[in-house]
Amino acid sequence: MNVFEKLASSEEMVSPGISACVGCNVELTLRTVMRVLGPNTILAIPPGCMGGVGVVGWDKKSGCKNPVFFPLLDNVASMLAGIKLHYEHRGEHVNVVAFAGDGATVDAGMQCLSGAAERGDKILYICYDNEGYMNTGYQRSGSTTKGAWTSTTPVSPQGKGGKRQNKKDFPMIMAMHDIPYMATCNPAFIPDMVGKVEKAMAVDNGLAFLYIYNPCLTGWGIPSDKSIEVSRMAVDCSFAPLYEVENGRYTLSYTPKKPLRVQEYVSRIKKFSHLGQEEIEALQKLTDTKWQQLQKLCEMD
Amino acid sequence: MPRIEVMNGNKAAATAAALCRPDVIAAYPITPQTPVVEYLTQFAADGIIQSSMSEVESELSAMSVVTGASLAGSRTFTATSSQGLALMYEPYFRASTLRLPIVMAIINREMISPQTLWGGPQDALTVRDAGWLQIYVEDNQEILDTLILAFRLAEDKGVLLPVNICYDGFYLSHMAERVEVPDQETVDSFLPPYVPTHIKLDPKRPMAVDPLTNGNLLTEYRLRHTQGQQRALGLIEELDKEFLERFGRCYGGLIEEYRNEDSDAVLVTMGSMTGVARVAVDQARAQGRKIGLVKLRAIRPFPAQRVAEALAGKKAFGVVDRSVSFGWGTGITFQETRSAMYASGSFMPALPFIGGLGGEDVTIEHMLHAIGCIYAAIDGAAPAGTVWLNKEITAE
Repeated sequence: MNVFEKLASSEEMVSPGISACVGCNVELTLRTVMRVLGPNTILAIPPGCMGGVGVVGWDKKSGCKNPVFFPLLDNVASMLAGIKLHYEHRGEHVNVVAFAGDGATVDAGMQCLSGAAERGDKILYICYDNEGYMNTGYQRSGSTTKGAWTSTTPVSPQGKGGKRQNKKDFPMIMAMHDIPYMATCNPAFIPDMVGKVEKAMAVDNGLAFLYIYNPCLTGWGIPSDKSIEVSRMAVDCSFAPLYEVENGRYTLSYTPKKPLRVQEYVSRIKKFSHLGQEEIEALQKLTDTKWQQLQKLCEMD
Repeated sequence: MPRIEVMNGNKAAATAAALCRPDVIAAYPITPQTPVVEYLTQFAADGIIQSSMSEVESELSAMSVVTGASLAGSRTFTATSSQGLALMYEPYFRASTLRLPIVMAIINREMISPQTLWGGPQDALTVRDAGWLQIYVEDNQEILDTLILAFRLAEDKGVLLPVNICYDGFYLSHMAERVEVPDQETVDSFLPPYVPTHIKLDPKRPMAVDPLTNGNLLTEYRLRHTQGQQRALGLIEELDKEFLERFGRCYGGLIEEYRNEDSDAVLVTMGSMTGVARVAVDQARAQGRKIGLVKLRAIRPFPAQRVAEALAGKKAFGVVDRSVSFGWGTGITFQETRSAMYASGSFMPALPFIGGLGGEDVTIEHMLHAIGCIYAAIDGAAPAGTVWLNKEITAE
C-alpha cells in the first residue's frame, strides 16, 4: 500500500466545512497529519488559523472527531505535558499532540515548549509556520522573513519598510535542545510528511517536534491555485529545506535536482514585491550559509 | 494512628498534599514557597507518594501542567507565592472558568515594587475575583487540615471549583509548630478518589473543550460558576463539622469568632495575625472593654451572612488588613466586610486599619491601638480615614 492509499484508507478526523481560506495548505496539512495520528489522539489547537477556522468547534458544533481543545497561546506544551502525565500515570498510551502556528510556538509559547523539550515530556508538537499572525490580519511574528510586508511591518509608497529582522531558525533551535526527533516538512511533500509523522508518533523517550513550512496564500499574496507550487519552490531554493534530526543525527530528506534562486521564490509572493535586488541578495546569502551549515551537519557521524 | 510532628507551615502543606494522593504535581520554586516543592520532590524520591512530578520551568507552566492533567482527569496540586501567582494569572483564571478542581497553596508574600519577599496576602487577595475559592488560615495545623478539606470542597459535584489555601509567608511557612498528622486510612475515608464527570479529554469519549462561545452561553457559564461559589458557602460549614467528627478538629467553617457573643464592638482579622489579636482582645477585656474578635477564613466565597450575623447589633467594628486596596486607600478585606454589612442593612462605624505590610510585625500594641480607635469611634471620635498601624506605632 503506498502512502496515498494508506491516507485514503484511514479515517478523516477533521470535519468537512471548516472555514479555512480557499487553497489553504495548513488545512491540507492538518487533515493529513490527523489521518496518520488517528482517533487515539488528544489534540491541542491554540489560538491561530486552525482555531479561527473552527477545528475546536463553533457554537456547540465540533470541527474535529478527536478530543480537542484550545490551550492558551503561551502554554500549549505545558498543558499537553500535564495531559500526557495523566495518561502515563495510568499506564495508558495516547498521542498527545499540538498543532500550533508560529506565533504560539516561536513567540508566546517558546518558554513552555523549551521547558517541555528539556524535561522530555512525551508529546508531539507540530508547528505550522505561516510566518506571522495570519488569522488576525497578518501581523509580524519572530518567524516572519526579513523584508516581508506584514500589517505591522508596513511598506511606504516609496517601497521602504517591511520587517527589519531575521527570521528565527526555529527547527534548528528545537534540534539544539537534543530532543529525540525533529523534522521539517512541507505541504508539497506529502509522502515525506507522512513518514515523519509516523516516526514522531513512535518516539517514546521525549518530545518530538515537527516543523511545517506553510506559505499563507491570503496573508502573503499568493494565488490560491499556486498553493502547492509556491510551497515546493521554498524547498527547491533551499529557503525551507527538508531534513530530520534523529537522536542528534542530521539527515537531508530531499536535495533539489534543479536548485532555484531565492529570487525565483520571492518573486511569486506579493509580500516581497517591494524588495530591491540588494535585499533579495542578502536573503540569498543567508539561505546559502544556512544550507551549507545544514549539509555539514548532515555529513557528521 | 495520627502522629505528632514538629513542622513548619510548608512541611504541613506538603504533608497534607501527600496524604491526598494527587496524581500529578507541578511546581516551580519561589520564596517563601520553595520548601513545599523540595518536600514534595523528596516524598516522591522516597516513595512516600506515587504522584507524577513535573519540575517545570516557570509558574506559568506549573498552572498549565496541572490544568492539562486536571482536564484529563487527574487530581492535582501545586503551590506558589506572589510574583509566581502573578505570572500564572492567565491559566489561573482559566482553571476556575474550566471548573477544574485543582488545589493550590498560596504562601502569601507581598507584591513588588519595592523589591520584597516577606509575608502578606496582597498576592492572593488581588486575584480574589478570578473565580477560585480562597481560604486563609492561621497556623500550621490549620494549613494541614484545611488542605485536606480543600480537595473534598473542590471536587464536590455541586462546587467543582479550584481552591486556594492561603497562609502567611515566613510567619507560618518557616515557623515550626506542633502538628498532628492524621493517618492515611482516615484521610482516604474522608477523601475518595477523584472521578471527573463534567469535563475530560479522553479518546474513548471525545469532546471539544472550549469552542468559541457566544455571550449568551458564556453568561450561563458565569451564572453557574457563581452558583457553585454560593454552594461552597454551605459546604465549607458542613465539611468543617464532618472534619471534626473524623479528625477531632474544627475551625468555625467560614469564620471563627472569639469572645464575640457578649461583645459590644468587634475586631476583624485574617491569617496569622489573629493569634496576636486574641491576646489583645483578652487584655482589652481585662481593662473592661467588651471587644470581640472575628477571624475571616473564606474570602471567596465571601461569607456575607455569617459576617453580618457576627457583627449584628454591635456598636462598631474595625478590620485589620495586611493588604492595600488601591483606589480605596483601605485594606482589601475591610471593603469586603463593609459590603457585607451594607447588604445586611445594619449600619455602624466601620474602621479600616492597615498593618504588617511587607512582612512587618503586627504586635499586641498595634491591636490594642486599633481597639482603642474602635472605642473612640463609638464615642464619636473616629480617626479620619485609614489608620496605618506601623506608622502610628513604630518598633523601637
